[in-house]
Amino acid sequence: MKVRNHDHLQQEHILWAVIDESELAGEYQQHLRQCPVCKTKVEQLRSGLEDLGEIARQAVPSYTRPVRLPSERVARISQNAGWLPFFGAAAMAGLLVFFYFMGTKTMIPSEFATLQSQESLLEDESLMRQISEMVENPLSEDMYEISGENGIWFDDDFLQFVVPDIQDDFQS
Amino acid sequence: MKTEDNKNISLDVARLVEKARTGNRVSFQELISIFQEDIYRLAYYRTFSQMDAEDLTQDVFEQAYRKINSLNDVQRFRAWIYSIAVNRCNDFLRRKKYLALLQKGSSLEQDIMNTGMNMENSTNERIDKKKFWGLVKVMLQSLSAMEREVFTLRFMDHRKINEIAAILDKNESTIKTHLYRALKKVREHSDVFREYRESIS
Repeated sequence: MKVRNHDHLQQEHILWAVIDESELAGEYQQHLRQCPVCKTKVEQLRSGLEDLGEIARQAVPSYTRPVRLPSERVARISQNAGWLPFFGAAAMAGLLVFFYFMGTKTMIPSEFATLQSQESLLEDESLMRQISEMVENPLSEDMYEISGENGIWFDDDFLQFVVPDIQDDFQS
Repeated sequence: MKTEDNKNISLDVARLVEKARTGNRVSFQELISIFQEDIYRLAYYRTFSQMDAEDLTQDVFEQAYRKINSLNDVQRFRAWIYSIAVNRCNDFLRRKKYLALLQKGSSLEQDIMNTGMNMENSTNERIDKKKFWGLVKVMLQSLSAMEREVFTLRFMDHRKINEIAAILDKNESTIKTHLYRALKKVREHSDVFREYRESIS
């Protein structure tokens, strides 16, 4: 299609001229070089788009955070990691104290008294058991054996052998 | 002159990437300082939130640092890091969209409010910026996802067509077609931005 000078470039050609002038057919390129009207149209569109880019560049808020590489962040933590065990120990101790006090504070006083009296009763009971055992068996096991009260039966012949009667001696 | 400068920067970047691939952290830090602002802006143009953009910038460089050995051609570092950033932003926006579905009300107004609140300048300037980002949002919402991506990379991130093709892993003619469609839709907005600039200058 031939272009005459009084037939200006159409909108699509103006757009292609902005994108890439070399995409236009030879006669359109030639027309664009010679026609101030079409040249102005292309320049206006181009400058409008340049304005957009320029204002956008200026309107972007400034960058405030520097980029950090991954291991750098790890290293930063490890450099300050000396306090971590102390912090952990302190937190643990704090928790223990907290739970200890919470445990005693949350117990109702009457419950606490009952618990105490139950403990003393058990103690008394155990003492009484020991006393009654001592009453029943006053001697130790060894002494008990010697005393002959541990159920070992000695017959009369044996006793006679160990301790003979005085009367017999007289008779002989 | 400018081309010469760009060539030198590319060589520097390639050298730094080579060193970073061997585990040199200082070189990677230098790469961060070169690209940090660009990546942050890229994230901001997509999220309109300073906090989210900063988080995403951190994520992008962390991922790049972990995967730098998977980059075969050191000359493509720029395209590679931009593609990581674009993918990260898209993931983030998808997640945000999904969460927004679960919440009541539109997030657009809130986002624009936040955008204004984040600015640390004078009240007038804050209102101007708020208005500007409001216009940008409306304009970008009239585009499809691909048109929006291509348009933003070309006219806001100032990437060339061949770079955009490398970032999005598409051929150049596809990029140009999407750009053409996007321009057709936003054409009237370009006048708005020119007028806007004249009004504030």
